[in-house]
Amino acid sequence: MSFAMAFSKKEDESGLSSYYNNKTTIIQEARVFNESPISPRKCRALLTRIVYLLYVGETFGTQEATTLFFGTTKLFQHKDSALRQAVYMAIKELAPMAEDVIMVTASIMKDMQPNSEVIYRPNAIRALCRIIDPSMAQGVERFFKAAIVDRNPSIASAALVSAYHLFPHAKDVVKRWVNEAQEAVNAKSGGYFGGPVSTGSFFGGASQSSAQTVPSSSNIMQYHALGLLYLIRQQDRMAVTKMIQQLGGGKSGAGTTLKNAMALCMLIRYAAKVMEEDPNVQKQMVDLLEGWLRHKSDMVNFEAARVICELKNVTSGQLTKSIAVLQLFLSSPKPVLKFAATRTLASLALSHPTSVAVCNVDLENLITDSNRSVATYAITTLLKTGNEASVDRLIKQITGFMSEISDEFKVIIVEAIRSLCLKFPAKHAAMLTFLSGVLRDEGGYDFKRAVVEAIFDMIKFIGECKEQALSHLCEFIEDCEFTKLSVRILHLLGIEGPKSSQPAKYIRFIYNRVVLENAPVRAAAVSSMAKFGVNSTDEKLNKSIAVLLNRCLDDVDDEVRDRAAMYLKVFKTQSLVEPYIKEDSVLSLAALEAKLVSYVKDAGSSAQPFDVSTIPKISRAQAAVDAARPSTLDTIGVPAAKKASASPPPPSAAETQSAYAEKLAAVPSFASYGTILNSSAKPVQLTESETEYQVTCVKHIFKEHIVFQFNVSNTLPDTVLEGVTMAMQTEDSGLTQDFVLPINSLSAATSPGIAYVSFTRDAPDEYAIASFQCTLQFVSKELDPSTGEPEADGYEDEYQIEEVELSAGGDYIVPSYAAFGAEWDRLKGAPSVTETFGLGTSMESLKAACDSIIEVLNMEPLGGTEIPTSSSVHTLQLSGLVTGGGGKVLVRCRMTFSQGVGVTLELGVRAEKQDVCQLVVNAVGG
Amino acid sequence: MENISTRDPLAGYNCHHFSSPATMASFFSSLFQWLSGFFLSKTAEIAIVGLQASGKTSFVNVIGSGQWSEDVVPTVGFIFRKVRKGNVTLKIWDVAGQPKFRSMWERYCHGVDAIVFIIDSADPEKFNTARFELHQLLGQPALTGVPLLVLGNKNDLDSHVPVKDLIRDLQLDKITDRPVSCYSCSMKSQHNLDIVLQWLAGRSH
Repeated sequence: MSFAMAFSKKEDESGLSSYYNNKTTIIQEARVFNESPISPRKCRALLTRIVYLLYVGETFGTQEATTLFFGTTKLFQHKDSALRQAVYMAIKELAPMAEDVIMVTASIMKDMQPNSEVIYRPNAIRALCRIIDPSMAQGVERFFKAAIVDRNPSIASAALVSAYHLFPHAKDVVKRWVNEAQEAVNAKSGGYFGGPVSTGSFFGGASQSSAQTVPSSSNIMQYHALGLLYLIRQQDRMAVTKMIQQLGGGKSGAGTTLKNAMALCMLIRYAAKVMEEDPNVQKQMVDLLEGWLRHKSDMVNFEAARVICELKNVTSGQLTKSIAVLQLFLSSPKPVLKFAATRTLASLALSHPTSVAVCNVDLENLITDSNRSVATYAITTLLKTGNEASVDRLIKQITGFMSEISDEFKVIIVEAIRSLCLKFPAKHAAMLTFLSGVLRDEGGYDFKRAVVEAIFDMIKFIGECKEQALSHLCEFIEDCEFTKLSVRILHLLGIEGPKSSQPAKYIRFIYNRVVLENAPVRAAAVSSMAKFGVNSTDEKLNKSIAVLLNRCLDDVDDEVRDRAAMYLKVFKTQSLVEPYIKEDSVLSLAALEAKLVSYVKDAGSSAQPFDVSTIPKISRAQAAVDAARPSTLDTIGVPAAKKASASPPPPSAAETQSAYAEKLAAVPSFASYGTILNSSAKPVQLTESETEYQVTCVKHIFKEHIVFQFNVSNTLPDTVLEGVTMAMQTEDSGLTQDFVLPINSLSAATSPGIAYVSFTRDAPDEYAIASFQCTLQFVSKELDPSTGEPEADGYEDEYQIEEVELSAGGDYIVPSYAAFGAEWDRLKGAPSVTETFGLGTSMESLKAACDSIIEVLNMEPLGGTEIPTSSSVHTLQLSGLVTGGGGKVLVRCRMTFSQGVGVTLELGVRAEKQDVCQLVVNAVGG
Repeated sequence: MENISTRDPLAGYNCHHFSSPATMASFFSSLFQWLSGFFLSKTAEIAIVGLQASGKTSFVNVIGSGQWSEDVVPTVGFIFRKVRKGNVTLKIWDVAGQPKFRSMWERYCHGVDAIVFIIDSADPEKFNTARFELHQLLGQPALTGVPLLVLGNKNDLDSHVPVKDLIRDLQLDKITDRPVSCYSCSMKSQHNLDIVLQWLAGRSH
């Protein structure tokens, strides 16, 4: 039984307990509830066992739960207060499972009355919200209002928490309790748990034993009341802002009525949320937060510091004070404070390494901290803030304790090293040694995968270490227990190995796999060997590979035999090499999946074979971009909490692309256009978000055409738009409009609809740049409210929307990673352009200049150069790919900044084609 | 009624049982009863059921505290009350009568010493429903043999139906597997409550 496994060892040993705490036994023993007279001791013991069973995951059927529930209701006849508390506990736990729980309402209400014993009341209130019918909320309103402002904090808290849980079911009723909740927030310290004003800390609180002396629980009703107030007001940002200001207590925070540290922390979180939604209030909120940095509770200090560190666009000036607070925590004797501070600093170091660097001395001390979680975060932070010189020493220190930490933390460290490789390519030797070292250690799949991926990245971006990295991987697959990793490594060997100086030396490792491993690995090894055979010019090597493949024809596995046979055939027929081994385009997996799903679902389609030729193909490079893992710099040790609260992950670029492709494929007019070279990564908003008609635009670039896709939403429920078209006007753009596909009818229910405008590229080799004035044209008809049918007569109308730009960044250039130094040198003889621009005083810093260049060009910043380290001189390195066979493009922006003159930019572009250089220069200059 | 709230509630009605008009004897008998309240305390557990607004909660209020009120909040679920009358402690489950609660009557009738079914005797239109619910309840095998007391409440109203008709309309004569009594009474005027209490005391043990 599942719950039996949850027992601790000790209980298992007793043996008897599995009988004693058994569901069947307990249901039988529930007879004691009906005994007369009741034995409180026996009943309490049984109730405890019921709650225990539920706690360890046992489930009761409805009938069982209902029987037990009604059994417990009989216990209301006994006045023993300890029994009554146990009864309430059991009622709360059984309520979701049992039927007719409403039966106990009257008994609970009786206990809630002011004349009832004080120990009963909070318990009763908390139980009531579990069993009450939302329609009865009004009936208890008067009572709740009184309980919320009760002098006894446990009664007030119980009522507030219950109101919080009732809110989703009875919004209108609970909303009327806002004045009482307000009163509870402002409550003067007092009552049972009042005691001295909070002076200690939440983090230290755990060590104190009795509930009455835990400082954070004094005035706890403020925390609960604040939660309720926020819940009621959360839709109204103005009200929340006002609440934060009122309760914040002015600039220094001294005037606040909030004495409970947890309430203050909650207020800080609300402030963070408000700032995120409305940047206009940031200034005043930050003032409040800075006041809380000096609060006497470290919990509040930490919360304020963390929120400031996580602010979007926080300046290093704003960070100083919070970092000082966190730095203080680093040398605190409490592990929790140290952990919290290092964790926050580790994530802050991603974006503001220089600001965090001031803590380096304290962080160094934590490397040897006995708490390995603290040590791990300290090291990863140092890896991000440190300079090239400290890398070797840090790596040495990490190696020392890698064996002592859990896999999760090992992954964090490996990810940090991975981004470090790209930041300091010169240090690759030390890092590769480290990675190959940890690859030999014990570890689970996630850890090993992180190491292998880090090595893959090094192979991809750091040419010098390729051969050595490959031989480390070869060694690894000799003794690798993870099939997935072996397959990936074999695939990589097949691509990279033939290019190396001595391809032959890899063959032994690969063929060993054929001899020793399971079928999937053998099949991958066969493919890998075949690639050596085709790509190598060495006759001798080719011959031996043919021999090896011939041996594979005897394999017991079909797939292995088939692959070997196919490759042998391909070797003999040169014309097959191109399509089967060297082909550079792959099927768009997302599109393939979508097609296959619809094929499988449609019963009628099985008569015909699945037509692969309808699936759009994308280049391998494009596929790699789509499947790209999040940029390496983002993956390091970001606290998980932040991520979890965010909305579900947006569809990947590949998914949106294939969704677009699918829609476009459905339009016959575009059938002859060929494959899409590039679609906008995300729709551009052309209207304000609250207007009656909303339009977004997606641009699709084809070889000879450009298609604008307008997603139009009609938000007016009582009108329908007919014949919706987009009028686009532009001057001398090198584009000729072909046709417009209107939306026939668009109502609120059918929104969004799609209107297309197609243009022909007059010179397909040129990169047409233009901006279009767009006007939405339609016939507006009112809907007859009685029938829902549109009225016969409408009127023509127009709706001006924002301009659509066709520009270099986003439409022709996509970000792509490259090792800048090596590539820049390689393109020395290639087309290049260098121009100097004065960006003027409108650019107020080098950071602003970097941001706007990256935005305009839509290229990948390399090696952390998007964040200037100096305020006067900086070099930004960018890399991208030009769609439609434009090839690679690299941009080096050397910038200087001086007060009064602003930013001066020397733009150096190297690309594989001359007109690409011009495209980039025009984009920046124009 | 005065005697309801005295320590010896049945004295007024029961005096003829003791057949001793002498003051001294009466004194001794009440002393005896008072003492037996300590040494021979008895309990009876009873469940009170019936359609809504028949006067169940009023009944408990009146025998518990002697207070009758015009407006009583409809019971949600059940109310448990302990009432002490002399040496008899009555544990009373006052169960709600609205349709959604009727299926749960049975649970509170399990193991009781008596079931009291209260009916509004001035509202004959509900008699059919009441009869159905009553027989439905008594049909439960677990409740076989539990004594039944049917009270035709609200006999202070002129339109009330006499006991004889109640017995006929509720088909009480068809119940053969348990002792059945039927009284006409009124919580408002407290008419006949003394014999009701006496009946309940007789179920104690």
